[in-house]
Amino acid sequence: MYKNLMRKMLWACLTLFCATLILFVLIRLAPGDPIRLLLGPPADVAMIDTEAYDRKVNELRAHHGLDQPIVVQYVSWMKRLLQFELGASIHTGRDVGAEMMDRLPVTMLLSIAALALQIVLGLFFGTVSALRAGKVQDQAIRLACVTIASTPSFALGLVLLSFFAVTLGAYEISSDAGITRLWLPAATLGLMGAPPFIRIIRANLLSELGRTYVLSALSRGLDRKRVVRHALRNALLPLITLVALSLTMLVSGAVVIESIFSWPGIGKYALDSILLKDYPVIQGYALVMISVAILIHLLVDVVYAIMDPRIGRNREADLHEYA
Amino acid sequence: MSTLNAKRPVGLAVGVVILGFLAIAILGASWLSPYDPLKQQVSERLQKPSVEHPLGTDRFGRDVLSRTLHGGKNTLLASISALGAALAIGLVIGLVAGMYHGSILDTLLMRLIDVLLAFPFMVLAMILAALFGTSLLHLLIAVVSVWWVSFARLTRSVVLHAKSEVSFAAARVLGASNGTIICRELLPKAISPVLIMATFELGSLILSIAALSFLGLGAQPPSPEWGSMLSDGRDHFMQAPHILLGPALFIVLTVLAFNLIGEGLRDKLDPYEKSEL
Repeated sequence: MYKNLMRKMLWACLTLFCATLILFVLIRLAPGDPIRLLLGPPADVAMIDTEAYDRKVNELRAHHGLDQPIVVQYVSWMKRLLQFELGASIHTGRDVGAEMMDRLPVTMLLSIAALALQIVLGLFFGTVSALRAGKVQDQAIRLACVTIASTPSFALGLVLLSFFAVTLGAYEISSDAGITRLWLPAATLGLMGAPPFIRIIRANLLSELGRTYVLSALSRGLDRKRVVRHALRNALLPLITLVALSLTMLVSGAVVIESIFSWPGIGKYALDSILLKDYPVIQGYALVMISVAILIHLLVDVVYAIMDPRIGRNREADLHEYA
Repeated sequence: MSTLNAKRPVGLAVGVVILGFLAIAILGASWLSPYDPLKQQVSERLQKPSVEHPLGTDRFGRDVLSRTLHGGKNTLLASISALGAALAIGLVIGLVAGMYHGSILDTLLMRLIDVLLAFPFMVLAMILAALFGTSLLHLLIAVVSVWWVSFARLTRSVVLHAKSEVSFAAARVLGASNGTIICRELLPKAISPVLIMATFELGSLILSIAALSFLGLGAQPPSPEWGSMLSDGRDHFMQAPHILLGPALFIVLTVLAFNLIGEGLRDKLDPYEKSEL
């Protein structure tokens, strides 16, 4: 198991390394000279003394090390990254790493609250749907699932926001991250992400209930509720993959919901920076997100290895099934 | 279980009917829409839905219904071409990786896929938009560069399965070249599961494009396009929420239609238990 885990960790590091490479190349490919962007156009039109301006550009370029060969630039960038130095925001001049670390917990709080709701909804409606397979309740739940899965997240968010904030006046729109403001964005994200959980729990529970151990338990006269509980526990194992996928999507995809509810998380920060073309922040955001995604997947591998020793190497196969 | 299956075709039929109505509405936009989608009438700006303007007007006094009907063509065309490109790339890479399974090429391609999967989609799309500027084309490039991955993986697994069949061995024995085997033996087997997957993916692709457009990272005004209407409507959401209603409603209907059709097709063509998912 440890050998397997070490191998996975090595792959994770390699993936992260490739990701930094792709990111670095992408940023170099982008049109526009970052130095000129940093400097802005010459302050005074009369002062377009191109020579002086160019000299300043070249000075700054040397200062930032951008006049060196691209490989050297990459190595020095990586060196700084390994010391967790993400540079400073062009706009505010504040350290990007510190800003990220301020906002990541805020997004995490929202994501975990939403994930908890998704799991609760999935367990409840998935079980009901499986136990009433083919009946009215099942049909209604499936119809609700397909409708929610077809709704853009911002549409649901805006509908809920206008209902609770404007019609009922039960929700206050402001930009602090209090618990009192958490419930509505969390509810939106929870509702949006519930259908896959409901579907998978329904499908797994149905296939567990069709197994012989259920039949034999029932035929021996065991209480139906207890049998269902046993089957449910066995049906939950493949859920770990979905939890990881969902958490990654929540953390990285909360941008829309964060911007609607002005939740001061990492997504909103990134979106604001993108519209301002604040490269260091965008770069830092991408790196943090990729690291979080890789970390979550690694965590899933560990949890799987602990929970089911049979699954050592074949997780890729069932990840594919649910992806 | 029999009742379950008996109910299924209903979804497919409903999906087809919705799609049919949408197609009529979108293709017949120039006859159906009551106003010119680009005509501005400042005296009628931000009007609530009424008899003259069933979905109201936007901040320039343009009719939201007309713009929604006209915009559908651009949006759907963009989404379908993005999906087509992703599908083609995924199919080719999947076929090659599967055909040369175990070679260095296959390993490299699979690692590339792993790395791309580590990039959350929204993050990559946002980076591309930030670096290369916000436009529908850049958004579509971002979508394609992420979306081909799932098609490639599916194709590869189908190919690996097909390679264990007798027909594959027969083709080999008869001396068929790798190219012939890929085109004649593997491609036909891969195409139907990939197309079913594409029906589903189209729905989530439209949703992703819509979400990114809503954030202002997609098509820019003034072209009538659902995405740019959404980002337009967001700025005026508090005074005039109805601007969002038109495009949002049409997006829900379109995605719903494709999801229902995809689910129906999968149940029809893939009778295994897996289809319960």
